[in-house]
Amino acid sequence: MSSSLILRSALPKVLIKRSLFRSSIQVRQASSDPFAYVPGGPIYKGTVNDPTTFPPPSKTHGSYHWAFERLLSAALVPMTVTAFATSGTNYPLLDGILGLSLIIHSHIGFDSSLVDYLHQRKFPVFGPIAKWTLRAATVGTMVGVYQFNTNDIGLTELIAKVWTA
Amino acid sequence: MSVLSPAIRRLARASIADARAFTTSSSRLQAEPLQKPVMNKEFKIYRWNPDEPAKKPTLQSYTIDLNQTGPMVLDALIKIKNEIDPTLTFRRSCREGICGSCAMNINGQNTLACLCRIDRDTSKDSKIYPLPHMYIVKDLVPDLTQFYKQYKSIQPYLQNDNPPEKGEFLQSQEDRRKLDGLYECILCACCSTSCPSYWWNQDEYLGPATLMQAYRWIADSRDSNGAKRKEYLQNEMSMYRCHTIFNCARTCPKGLNPAAAIAKIKLELAAD
Repeated sequence: MSSSLILRSALPKVLIKRSLFRSSIQVRQASSDPFAYVPGGPIYKGTVNDPTTFPPPSKTHGSYHWAFERLLSAALVPMTVTAFATSGTNYPLLDGILGLSLIIHSHIGFDSSLVDYLHQRKFPVFGPIAKWTLRAATVGTMVGVYQFNTNDIGLTELIAKVWTA
Repeated sequence: MSVLSPAIRRLARASIADARAFTTSSSRLQAEPLQKPVMNKEFKIYRWNPDEPAKKPTLQSYTIDLNQTGPMVLDALIKIKNEIDPTLTFRRSCREGICGSCAMNINGQNTLACLCRIDRDTSKDSKIYPLPHMYIVKDLVPDLTQFYKQYKSIQPYLQNDNPPEKGEFLQSQEDRRKLDGLYECILCACCSTSCPSYWWNQDEYLGPATLMQAYRWIADSRDSNGAKRKEYLQNEMSMYRCHTIFNCARTCPKGLNPAAAIAKIKLELAAD
């Protein structure tokens, strides 16, 4: 009897907590208006005869971003080959460029998946947190790689050592 | 007996007389009409009824004789609806792959039911679902409102402020050839709904079908609004959510290649 009472009193609290948590990470729960627009939801913007709208045009987010990403990816191939052929201690500049390019390349990749899966319009709280965490991690890694390349053996040497170890 | 017998005897005499008049060989040598063996196959079809919104969608099983059915999946669906379950709901119109109504997910592949042959292997069942990751109106009918709204947003019609003085727009044969493989699209939504990017971001990402039509108007030599059309796509979401997954090109029931069209738009935007 007592256990069922506890269960009864605890259950609604858990439910409220869970729904609060969900609404804080995702704008699924419409607050008051059941027909309010929800991104990706069954309620569409405007009437069925209105065309969808485009975000404001921006080449930085559009073609420049795409071209930079593709050129960087293509450039990483000869860079990696060069790193195999030469040694990082003799050409510290090449080592530095390789490290920087790899970090930017991975940043673009991670950023792309955040835009795909954790976009701000669907996750108003969690989205920006993830975005800024990624940016902080990228800057941190850049500083770390810079320190490692200037004060220690450098990226290429490390990989060579781990490879033969 | 006594009342009917004169009439029956007359009928019997007449039929014997007819048989004598028209048969040339003995009846024993005549071929029996071929009785096709029963070839039962199980179809498992996605069912969801909006009148009972609390009830979860289920797979309902139907077994039909393939030897009494046409060759295509659409024939099977029509047979099931006619003979077994009239509440089964699906869209169909032309039954020859030009209207795009019967697009659905058959055995894991988005295709047109009217162009998809029934697998004759009766040991395996056939699973039929509506187009994936769409809101469902009923059973196999998806809500394509957003898809059509997106198609409308790219302004899929000729725009040219300087029409020729008289007569029609003229086009060279090379220019006309650029539209081959683009204009054949029937907007069945098979490609868009097979695209994972479209699944996650269909409120912002246009999807392969709409983007291929966008390119169809960018590539048209008669259209003079190309710069504006390209500018619309210059953002993070509308086109650049395409990650060259190629599901669109693999699934297209008309054999078109939306991925190539998107790649060409990307190249044109990069060269801008």
